[in-house]
Amino acid sequence: MGSSEQIDRVTDLRAWPGEFPVSHLYTMGIAGERFFRELKDNGRFLGSRCAACDHVYLPPSIFCPRCFAALDEWKEVGPQGTVRAVTTAHRGVDGTTLKTPETLALIQLDGADDLLTHRIKESEGLEIGARVAPVLKETPEREGSILDVRYFRAV
Amino acid sequence: MPTKVAIIGVGHTAFRATSPGLSYKELMFEAATRAYEDAGLDARSEIDSFLTCSEDLAEGTSIFDEYVPDQIGGAERPVYTVSGDTIQGLATAYMQIASGIVDVVSVEAHSKASNVVTPGELHAFALDPIFVRPLGFNAHAMAGLEASAYLATTSTTREQCAHVVAKNRRNALANPSAAHAAAIDPQDVLSSPPAFAPLTELEVSAPADGALVIVLASEERAKKLKRQPVWLRGIGWSTGSGITSGTDGSSADYARSAAEMAYRMAGIGDPRQGIDFAEVDDSYSYKEPQHLEALGLFGPGRAGAATADGATARDGDLPVNVSGGSLGVGQLFEASGGQKVAEVVAQLRGEAGPRQLKKAKTGLAQSWRGIPTATGAVVVLSRD
Repeated sequence: MGSSEQIDRVTDLRAWPGEFPVSHLYTMGIAGERFFRELKDNGRFLGSRCAACDHVYLPPSIFCPRCFAALDEWKEVGPQGTVRAVTTAHRGVDGTTLKTPETLALIQLDGADDLLTHRIKESEGLEIGARVAPVLKETPEREGSILDVRYFRAV
Repeated sequence: MPTKVAIIGVGHTAFRATSPGLSYKELMFEAATRAYEDAGLDARSEIDSFLTCSEDLAEGTSIFDEYVPDQIGGAERPVYTVSGDTIQGLATAYMQIASGIVDVVSVEAHSKASNVVTPGELHAFALDPIFVRPLGFNAHAMAGLEASAYLATTSTTREQCAHVVAKNRRNALANPSAAHAAAIDPQDVLSSPPAFAPLTELEVSAPADGALVIVLASEERAKKLKRQPVWLRGIGWSTGSGITSGTDGSSADYARSAAEMAYRMAGIGDPRQGIDFAEVDDSYSYKEPQHLEALGLFGPGRAGAATADGATARDGDLPVNVSGGSLGVGQLFEASGGQKVAEVVAQLRGEAGPRQLKKAKTGLAQSWRGIPTATGAVVVLSRD
């Protein structure tokens, strides 16, 4: 041991509780504004395309991580897509068991090369390769957030 | 030829599920005391530079750098933290020594995971704040996604992943420092409660507390010390776009590119010929075969079947995670890669006791920074 002394009575052990009450704003940026305004106003998904790499980014980006070009070509993708990965979570964020397990998937929207993460409902036994479509909130309820998409479901 | 740098001392605490009797500073002090004793060096006069590997949020303290010097002998000395895994810290130490500005560097990493009251919220905070975090899922679900894609892409089976867990938890039985040793079988893994399907509860490594310190030195300095040096022959690190930006995470490309960098430096053409044994990241069951394939130690989709056949067992062709890995020893935040390095050093020195391998001339350690990262590091260590 580093020290020659040790606490040997459990009742002597002490700890001080502390919290981390810090809040943030996360700026959407140019590409994020475009994506979420299109989703909110028109219920459509917008990606950005790098012509040189022939790659459609979703979420969109104003730069290409492959060739580092600045991007300014916007492309509507989806709304339907294909499931590329799927998991069923039996635990919530706090680690406790969920009464109703929830399904999460990586979805390749038609026309996009990247994958969107979202929840799946009303789709018993959904597997990789399944076709899915989004269920959106009604227009007045949409606020420009990823939660404007309630979930995706099998078609 | 790359500059020769050696590991000349290693010290660590036991890794345990909780450590309520010692503060993180006291854990670090114990590990440092052991490492400097092992190296035969005086903490205050014979170590030129100090590094700790840590993330502020996991520590619960901002600008955590300020809280590290005293307990590792680094007060009023060159010190900073690397917000990465221990193997990234070793790379930084290597560069400091190779640059010629210092001769001896101490690298520290630790976990006081049991002090994190809300680990689920801590991990969720690593998810993309605009696109993923609002969905309200436990971050382990991202590993469930990766696992599903890896299994589908490679035809690896859930049974083969269960073999990984049983092997590593059993390997840990021969490691007195391991927190989560258990005599379990693949069937126990498959029948444990579903957690993040396809992953069951036992396929997710559990956290542990502990600290470790690794001391490195230049060739000239290492040859004058009492300890037989363990040579750092190659090191590499890489970060990919990963699951946070649109890939399915089925192939661990970060591990492939980190390994290419390390192999190039070590002059290793065929890793299977050049490496005798490996300690690789096994934060989740599927991560071990996925990483073994990315490291070029098995062909694509081959590591799962090889594991079930015993090829990665302690007496197999390529022993993997003889220490017990993260599944058996425990998940140690930024010390996870350090624990793997400590095992490789122990094996190369012939000091691994009941788990000592017969053939241990060159070993590999690999780390991954966990969900949702695509960051990995690789180090190749050798007896000569």
